Amino acid sequence: MMMISKPVVASLFVFALFILPNLAGADDSWNLTGEEEVRFDATVTDVLCVLSGDCPPDCGGGKRVLGLLKADGELVLPIKNGGPFTGAVADLLPYCSTVVTADGLFTINWGVKTFAIQFVRPQEGKWQRANQFVKDWATAHGLEAKDKKARRWFRNDETILEIVGEQGKLGLKDKGIEP
Amino acid sequence: MAAPFHAWAGQPERVTVTGEVIDPWCYLSEFMWATGSAHHQCAIWCARGGIPVGILGDDEQVYIVLQMDSDPDVIGHHGILRMQSNEVVVEGDLYVRDNINYLAIDTIIDDHGIVNYSHDEIEIQPFGD
Repeated sequence: MMMISKPVVASLFVFALFILPNLAGADDSWNLTGEEEVRFDATVTDVLCVLSGDCPPDCGGGKRVLGLLKADGELVLPIKNGGPFTGAVADLLPYCSTVVTADGLFTINWGVKTFAIQFVRPQEGKWQRANQFVKDWATAHGLEAKDKKARRWFRNDETILEIVGEQGKLGLKDKGIEP
Repeated sequence: MAAPFHAWAGQPERVTVTGEVIDPWCYLSEFMWATGSAHHQCAIWCARGGIPVGILGDDEQVYIVLQMDSDPDVIGHHGILRMQSNEVVVEGDLYVRDNINYLAIDTIIDDHGIVNYSHDEIEIQPFGD
């Protein structure tokens, strides 16, 4: 694992990975390990459903891990979307059990291939940027997604503030260890 | 629409896993230090943001958590957010699909809290605060 010791380098790197993708077009490189720019068709599905047969009708309503099941049987794990510190469930849930075209990046590391979805297109629909979590968060807080508070949702989310307040940024507040 | 997927289901392996609750995206993408206390806050951010939670096992394998304590509602789950960075011992069903380990946990055998004090050597990830 790469160790980053200089704050400026780390900040620039994270800016490139989390913020720039929101500004760019389809198939944009994030310079990930084993990165591959891809576009493919797949059915949005609940991963636990595929693996165990436990299949709620709505893919779990946004609370379960979602996958993209390709026609050749490959189950792709969309672990990340194009937003800052956000996943792809909110982007894919509206298309539960339907085929979409997904556009983004595979990253392969330690033999594990995961998918960062940047854009999604329903059948006979339009391309949509995969940043639904931030849009939903902004709406829930009476903001627009472009609002600075929404773009920095992770610094402003009430649940996060509550848990970090309890545990500390290092998670060691109960042991008297704080930054 | 759900019924056809039953055809893909396979027999899981019963396993006990000891490891650290992590954000698998930060770990697998390798763009920041992604374990221990230095990454604790970021791991909470990512779990709250809907990124699946993982466990980095003592066997150095990454397990994607599909179910925790028999609850499949794991995305953004407040209880799981509070477990980030903890060392846990869990038992459940392991499914391996396309080289990814998926773990449906039914029993949390033990929770040791955070034992990886990575902040001793690494600043708070990713911004330093």
